Amino acid sequence: MSAAFQPYRRARDFGTPKRESQRQVTLTIDSVTVTVPEGTTVLRAAAEAGINIPKLCATDSLEPFGSCRLCLVEIQGAKGLPASCTTEVREGMVVTTQSKRLADVRRNVMELYISDHPLDCLTCPTNGDCELQDMAGAVGLREVRYGYDGANHFGAKKDESNPYFTFDPTKCIVCSRCVRACEEIQGTFALTIDGRGFASKVAASQNQPFLDSECVSCGACVQACPTATLTEKSLIELGQPEHYVVTTCAYCGVGCSFRAEMKGEQVVKMVPNKDGHANHGHSCVKGRFAFGYATHKDRITKPMIRNSIHEPWKEVSWEEAISFTAKKFKEIQAKYGRHAIGGITSSRCTNEETYLVQKLVRAAFGNNNVDTCARVCHSPTGYGLKTTLGESAGTQAFDSVMKADVIMVIGANPPDAHPVFASQLKRRVRQGAKLIVVDPRATDLVRSPHIEADYHLALRPGTNVAVLNAMAHVIISEGLEDKEFIAARCERDAYEDWRAFILEERNSPEAVEKESGVPAETIRGAARLYASAPNAAIYYGLGVSEHSQGSTAVMAIANLAMCTGNLGREGVGVNPLRGQNNVQGSCDMGSFPHELPGYRHVSDPNVRKLFEQDWNVTIDPEPGLRIPNMFDAAIAGTFKGLYVQGEDVAQSDPDLNHVAKALSSLECMVVQDLFLNETAKFAHVFLPGSSFLEKNGTFTNAERRISRVRKVMKPLAGYEDWEVTQLLANAMGYPMSYSHPREIMEEIARLTPTFAGVSYEKLDELGSIQWPCNEKAPQGTPTMHVEEFVRGKGLFRVTPYVPTDERTNSKYPLLLTTGRILSQYNVGAQTRRTANVAWHSEDVLEIHPHDAEQRGIQTGDWVGLKSRAGETVLRALVTERVMPGVVYTTFHHPESGANVVTTDNSDWATNCPEYKVTAVQAYKVEKLSDWQQRFQSFTEQQLEFLRKARAGSEEAVG
Amino acid sequence: MDVNKLVRMANQIAANLDDGKNPQRAIDGTVDHLKRFWTPAMRRQIVEHYRQGSNGEEVIELSFIAAQAVARLAEEQQQATA
Ligand code: SF4
Ligand code: SF4
Ligand code: SF4
Ligand code: FES
Repeated sequence: MSAAFQPYRRARDFGTPKRESQRQVTLTIDSVTVTVPEGTTVLRAAAEAGINIPKLCATDSLEPFGSCRLCLVEIQGAKGLPASCTTEVREGMVVTTQSKRLADVRRNVMELYISDHPLDCLTCPTNGDCELQDMAGAVGLREVRYGYDGANHFGAKKDESNPYFTFDPTKCIVCSRCVRACEEIQGTFALTIDGRGFASKVAASQNQPFLDSECVSCGACVQACPTATLTEKSLIELGQPEHYVVTTCAYCGVGCSFRAEMKGEQVVKMVPNKDGHANHGHSCVKGRFAFGYATHKDRITKPMIRNSIHEPWKEVSWEEAISFTAKKFKEIQAKYGRHAIGGITSSRCTNEETYLVQKLVRAAFGNNNVDTCARVCHSPTGYGLKTTLGESAGTQAFDSVMKADVIMVIGANPPDAHPVFASQLKRRVRQGAKLIVVDPRATDLVRSPHIEADYHLALRPGTNVAVLNAMAHVIISEGLEDKEFIAARCERDAYEDWRAFILEERNSPEAVEKESGVPAETIRGAARLYASAPNAAIYYGLGVSEHSQGSTAVMAIANLAMCTGNLGREGVGVNPLRGQNNVQGSCDMGSFPHELPGYRHVSDPNVRKLFEQDWNVTIDPEPGLRIPNMFDAAIAGTFKGLYVQGEDVAQSDPDLNHVAKALSSLECMVVQDLFLNETAKFAHVFLPGSSFLEKNGTFTNAERRISRVRKVMKPLAGYEDWEVTQLLANAMGYPMSYSHPREIMEEIARLTPTFAGVSYEKLDELGSIQWPCNEKAPQGTPTMHVEEFVRGKGLFRVTPYVPTDERTNSKYPLLLTTGRILSQYNVGAQTRRTANVAWHSEDVLEIHPHDAEQRGIQTGDWVGLKSRAGETVLRALVTERVMPGVVYTTFHHPESGANVVTTDNSDWATNCPEYKVTAVQAYKVEKLSDWQQRFQSFTEQQLEFLRKARAGSEEAVG
Repeated sequence: MDVNKLVRMANQIAANLDDGKNPQRAIDGTVDHLKRFWTPAMRRQIVEHYRQGSNGEEVIELSFIAAQAVARLAEEQQQATA
């Protein structure tokens, strides 16, 4: 099914959604006997039996609507001609789908539609893939008796404002599939049918152009439209695809499955896969449309080297670049010792690539100095969940949210950061689930169309632990805990200790109110709601982990779930929402300096032995350097060489002045990436990377789901990323000889018990697999900790609230917190190279009207932002989304330098940086900061060095 | 590495593992944490610092729990080399 190349065809459409029911109903359709679950429509039952009833307004991603009257059928004993899309099956029903009478009615319906439809099929972009065209064929339309001169909409104007799709109202049949898609699937409610009867038309927001409307460009309406009215611009430009390949989005931790619809090696469009287990046919603007970066002219496709970062680059062959690197690394080790080099893996790379980089470090470098960018986002999740539950991963599948009665979202902004999951969550809330939001900002989940949080705990940044403890205090002191679950499933002594601790007065809502700013009654209400629900689920994000108490907060969340028995079944659980696509996978693959793949500590001799025998090396039993330690060691002069695959530490890490100083101290820095990113500006070797379209591998999303990434085009620079790591290992004297990532996965499965049952064959067969997948769970594990916790008994950990050192004072009276937005991705290196900039061309500073007025700041003004770490300048956006005393920005654009301001404070257990709390001052300025001016000239110089390399190679060639 | 940073980190670990009731457990936890997550070089440096004091530079003080934990590491190192 999902194996490599498939000839292009539209995904099968069953007309109405699948229904689940214990009861089966049997009926006869055109003398075929069909058995389907109760609640299924006649239209769908027929489709499942291979009988295609004509239809236009129905599609299986949307609830039936019954407006087009094309799907009429005859039902024995029923009056008239019922619409099959809105008629549910009944036992013994006898249905006829084709007859002279039906044919006449259907032809009439089509005639009416076509009389108001331009007949330019031959030049229409969806020619050959249009449902209206198909239906005209299916009903045998031969003439249009009404003629084309009657009233029509042929003069209506196209809306081309959205960078990715056009809206051509002349082709609209007002089936309202787009309107319903925006409501039911996406949950944005941007579209309406405006006017009545003949005058009715589709309108975005208040009859605005799409780009200016509330539309978030998810593409659901484009997908649902049966005509060429809503069409991808790429399709208009390139024509119909001829084959497709199923692959996985490389942006966020939802890990949507896509059909890359291709023309040769060119992507025509990325279409969300209906069979995708994480997304069920939905997507967001990034995965759906923002793939143009992969072929952007800024891609670097030739290896480059230089001796100093103050010199121009020189383009060289792969052999030269690799041997240059190996020589430097060996020299450094000879001079400064084995521990003077290391590597950084990326959550943007595949599991196989990440696995190989950590193997390179442990086996070829001979130390454990390997870390991953998850250090700066979710390392506290690993620590906290491993400690309490026994496994460093979320407990549920995304679909589990559809069984939750209360949903608590803490420090996460799913509509922006995990859009497809957010759509699902909002759907559940519209069905009646209660919602608690814990966030300093009034995010879209607090209030947006048809969504209103029952509780918003607008806490002061940095006080998560205090508030979570207070919630637990309420639960225990009011006797709302699940005593049975605690007694059966958790360690008793630890629970008793925790219980005594949590009942202390310092953890009461009244005591916490002052520190957190959340009224005690709100905390009590939220705690009662969470504890009393049959199923309550927690979803949390970087607003939990990126704090000096990040690990404590994760444990406090686990404590809350354990004490209310909300673990081990569907509808409940503790769910970290991972930022980047493969955060989960990169952690699983042993990217942390203290852990071998599968979260096993390097000090464990049995685990080491397993790897030592397989790899034929000795593994260092001591933990290596974490990313912030690497920087400190570089400045101290003991760490000199670094291999960075797919990561941009010089933009994404905090306290950039410090990072820049560290990177400039290195003697050999190797960057493997698509673009000359910020980090590469400090590099001595640049190894061109390959995009997700150019390689094979797997990603693991936030629900532990392993999905295939499939190559749809040749790597622009000749090698897939794993091949480059392999070349480097060989040059360093450690032999590697994989011929395909499938072999790397075989090795991972061989050495990692939770992956024992995973293979490419099984992934092809099942589509995706949630680990653990082994003998006990050959099909994978959607819900974890069902009978018992992975560690046996759940462990309550005492979670004292230790306030951050980062406090406001008269010099720095505001708290800065950082985040992300929908259309941009992380450091933005990819999304900034797509038309997504239409929505976010620069990072802005959100500031409350009260604070703005005090400082004479207005929206659009340049504002200086200063902390004890540094200073930068951004444009202001005055808004009540942030509370007084708090300012907010994103870090998608390097020149805005949000991370110049963030400090080197970090989580106590994992050194995950405290991005979410920085004490700052803001003031009106006229020009860019000194840092920005230096940044600009440094960037210009580095780009000049790149131009020289390229010019050099052209000369050489020409 | 900047020793002040190491001291700050150790203090933070100690503070977060301390429930205010059982200092022994907090010390054990801190020792274990330093062994599981710090490189040997980082541990050596903080032990060195603990033994020799500040050398006149301005340094942050180790908290009580952190100091006890580092003392334990110092002892263990001594035994290992003895
Ligand atoms: S692209 Fe998505 S958000 Fe925009 S109108 Fe269509 S369905 Fe709604
Ligand atoms: S734009 Fe497409 S989906 Fe929307 S009403 Fe018109 S034809 Fe139907
Ligand atoms: S960015 Fe995330 S939500 Fe959007 S399509 Fe990709 S995986 Fe799905
Ligand atoms: S498909 Fe049933 S009424 Fe349109």
